Amino acid sequence: MTAEPLDSSLRVVGQPDSRPQKVFCGHCGRAPNGEPEPKKADPESRVCSNCGMGLLLQAPAEFAPSPSDPFLVVDGSLTICALSRVAEELLGITETEAVNRHIGEFLVPGDSEAPTSENLGALLAWAARGDAPAKSVVVRPTNTFGVRYWARVGPCGPPRAALLVLADAR
Amino acid sequence: MHNFGVLIRAEATPTTKGKPQGAPIPDPVRFLKTSEAAALLNVSPNTLRAWERRFGYPKPQRSPGKHRLYTHGEIAALRDALQEGLSISSAVSRAREGLSADTDSLVGTLASFDRDRADAAMEAALALRSLERSVEEVLLPSLEELHRKHGADSARWAFAARWGDEWLRRAQRLAPPPVRQVSFLIGDASANELDPDSAAIRALELLCARAGARLLGLSVQGVSGIGEALAMLEPDAIVLAGGHARDDEVARWAYGVRSSVGALPVTLYRREVLRPLRVRTTGARLLSPSPSGALSELMEIVEVGRLGPTRRKEAAKSTTSLMPRERSAGA
Repeated sequence: MTAEPLDSSLRVVGQPDSRPQKVFCGHCGRAPNGEPEPKKADPESRVCSNCGMGLLLQAPAEFAPSPSDPFLVVDGSLTICALSRVAEELLGITETEAVNRHIGEFLVPGDSEAPTSENLGALLAWAARGDAPAKSVVVRPTNTFGVRYWARVGPCGPPRAALLVLADAR
Repeated sequence: MHNFGVLIRAEATPTTKGKPQGAPIPDPVRFLKTSEAAALLNVSPNTLRAWERRFGYPKPQRSPGKHRLYTHGEIAALRDALQEGLSISSAVSRAREGLSADTDSLVGTLASFDRDRADAAMEAALALRSLERSVEEVLLPSLEELHRKHGADSARWAFAARWGDEWLRRAQRLAPPPVRQVSFLIGDASANELDPDSAAIRALELLCARAGARLLGLSVQGVSGIGEALAMLEPDAIVLAGGHARDDEVARWAYGVRSSVGALPVTLYRREVLRPLRVRTTGARLLSPSPSGALSELMEIVEVGRLGPTRRKEAAKSTTSLMPRERSAGA
């Protein structure tokens, strides 16, 4: 039995990202063993060998955080799954407090009337599905005014999740 | 069909070969040393200890030599969660959820009056934890939840309390024989098996027995002839447990005990809320409400008492305190 030739306009849903990937620790943001950009994480050991407090994740290289970037990892239900060490300092919460809580408890869109294409929740949900390219939006800490951050939203994993990398928006 | 008896009997079988007498007899639960647990998780022992500090998980027990002992179930649950997790925190959270499911399961089976499934739920808990932790983390919280939800006058609580009482007594009967040179007298001041304190008192008795201590549990209502009972036991400390009996009843019993064996350390277990002022005047020490905490404190009290001026010489003669009683000639 031979496979039917595929129409070039069709693609498999959830096709692996062909962009160059970077592996980083979900807590300290460093690449494993200090290597700048290893090809692939060791599936046997997902725990960061540098800090021991995070799991190794993968994201498109142009979008992946550096060790000095504060970032969060959010799943498809917009629940926080990881918080980097720098984000802990920036937001004043620990990862153990934040995990399993909704992102809206900590960050909300900076512009409440943003179009759907820039809606934080939608962007995170799409990114967690691996459907959307990395995009930047403005966010602010919940119940805090006058503080805004740029947030790059894109996919990461495994398992599939959205990565939200914060940067100063002033 | 549950194999509770098999599990407990396996624990009760003396396996002293190659082990110092007096060491707690290990559970059928598989324990891992730090290096073994770290290897299973593919991390360093330092990382494992750092997780314990930061996340409070995995929570090891201590060996007689104070080394960490991890239950295989906890480590395996964490390993599985790490493979599918996005962070250590979320993996720990997921592993914990798996363990807390045992409590939910036991509450559900007791609420539906299903004795066999309740036994099976405890067996499942025992597969992941030591018996001590299963009692403290699953059995007692489940009973407390049922009592809180349904009230002391409910049929569900009556069923659950009786089941818990029977389970704990059965486990105590199957505990290994006393191997430590320490004995406790427990004055039970609870009402009956429906008293919410009763299960905790049974749990304390079970843990004392499993720690190798000799034990005599008596209701505080039984005063007459108590001297004969005490002559057999020679207790090192007295525990007044439960808050139901009136102060005068307890005082009468304590007086009877003291008349027979003299001054001994007196401790209060689950009786602290009712009479805080009286405690200060009598010098009785309050024990932690958790059975394992209370047991540690009791052991400490006995240890300190033995190192007091009157017993210092005696303690110096023995190589180690609280070690197994020497068997008499011919025994």
